[in-house]
Amino acid sequence: MSIRRKISIVVGLAQSVIGAFATVFAFLLYHNFAELQVALNVPPKDVLLYMLILIVFGLLSIISGLFLVNEQ
Amino acid sequence: MKRELGLLHATMLGIGGAISAGVFVMLGYAVTLAGTTVVIALVLCGVINLFTMCSYAELGAALPKAGGEYTFSKVAYGGFVSFFTGWFEWLSNMFFAALSAVGFAYMIPYIIPVSMPLAAVAIVAIAVIAIFSAINIRGVKEAGTAEAIMIIVLLIILIAYILGGASNPKIEAFQLYAPEGILGVVKATAYIFTVYLGAEAVAVAQAEIKNPSKTIPRAILLSAAVLIVLYVLIAYVTLRVAPLERLSGESAPIIFAAEQALGKLGTVLLVIGGTIAALSSLNTSIMAQSRVAYALSRDGYFPKALLRIHPKFSTPHVAVVVGAIFTAVLAATGVVNFVGYATDFGFIIGFALVNLSLMKLRREKPLLDRPFKVPFYPFTPIAGIVTSVFLLIFIDVGVLSLGMVLCVLAVLAYYIRMVGYLRFRVAFGGISLGLGGFTAILAYLIASGFMPFNGVSPITITAIVLILLFASVIQIIAGLLNVTAKSRT
Repeated sequence: MSIRRKISIVVGLAQSVIGAFATVFAFLLYHNFAELQVALNVPPKDVLLYMLILIVFGLLSIISGLFLVNEQ
Repeated sequence: MKRELGLLHATMLGIGGAISAGVFVMLGYAVTLAGTTVVIALVLCGVINLFTMCSYAELGAALPKAGGEYTFSKVAYGGFVSFFTGWFEWLSNMFFAALSAVGFAYMIPYIIPVSMPLAAVAIVAIAVIAIFSAINIRGVKEAGTAEAIMIIVLLIILIAYILGGASNPKIEAFQLYAPEGILGVVKATAYIFTVYLGAEAVAVAQAEIKNPSKTIPRAILLSAAVLIVLYVLIAYVTLRVAPLERLSGESAPIIFAAEQALGKLGTVLLVIGGTIAALSSLNTSIMAQSRVAYALSRDGYFPKALLRIHPKFSTPHVAVVVGAIFTAVLAATGVVNFVGYATDFGFIIGFALVNLSLMKLRREKPLLDRPFKVPFYPFTPIAGIVTSVFLLIFIDVGVLSLGMVLCVLAVLAYYIRMVGYLRFRVAFGGISLGLGGFTAILAYLIASGFMPFNGVSPITITAIVLILLFASVIQIIAGLLNVTAKSRT
């Protein structure tokens, strides 16, 4: 396995995990889990905007990461 | 897929696809807009729906393949237009299924005295999605029979309410009253049209309908007619047994009116009715989304795995399971509350495209065998297009924005299919570089205090900055690796 391939797998996995965390975090923020909205000083009216940004960021990261992991 | 659905099954699919829990809650605000003339609004909605249902009937009988609107627009236009139609049909049905599953979960406390925290709502929603997906995999006849039983019970409950309400001695005289005049009626028409959406599920399952040239048009038109009569009678009785001003403020006005007309029994009956309505629309939506996914896969837009037919039950089981997973995620995470309203947008876009497809096929394929023809052509499909545009004008701005986002995603998904693996990967590399840059700037703005986090401890801010920097580095490296990818092998 080439070095580039190894780096691709590690970076792809890391990127996908970051994407998954961002998506999960969006839902935790939406449901105000552990008073996250207060802890991060997010006004309730802006929660949906934050959620949208995090989900888009998360999904794009997951797809991009999967490209690297599944590279043949 | 086997042709196993008769006229009764197909008609019940149409009625079940349209009657959802929304019917039980939407009348209140519609009454606020239109007063007692909400009855006229419901008739107008029914007529608007009928314009397009005629087009569905003609195309369904002429092209009885799986996929409904998607198949019609594929034959008429092909390319992006057909993908666009199928994409919205698939998404709308998944959103509708998720909304129905969550609606069902929220109705449980009305039947059994239990509290329903968010986690319990999610578990119940996933459970019903799993149960109805299993029924849909087991066979289209089983799913159709389950639908027919649920809708017959629901119709009995609604007819009992109508008869019980009409024979109530305390019934009040009915007078047409429109607090906002004609504009109020128009607004109420646009608002309450949602209750008719979903009846086109007959067309989606048309590959499994027996004797399609006769059964499809009959089932579509019969279900559209039954819906008009049913909704108008429900609204008429509700307006006569409950004071207008009380209906406006009620979250479930029909259940409130049932209590006025039939006492506690009325409440119980209508709550059960609402529950059945939610389940039947869930069942229909699961069937519809899987058939559209199957058709999109058949034409190469979705992965070929979705094309697999179960060897024993002859159903597209992979398409059912994949759609069920998406639906369960939408329902369980609460994201359906955010995107569910886009359902209307998707269905209305589908209406316009079906009418356009009908007109194009009439012009370009005059010899196509049409067992049923739309009456008063071309006025009926033109009326269907005009009224669809009218409904889009009155749709909520938030829904319209979300619909636009879904349009952009449709373009993206289509070009993923069309431009090929390598180009798409390079494009995603560019996106990753952009995300990396964006995250780095965000980290800098937070660290330098340009983006204040009032009341947040310095340790938390430092942790956020470090996480963002790490994400930024990963995104940039990933972007470079994807951009410099040479080939697939």
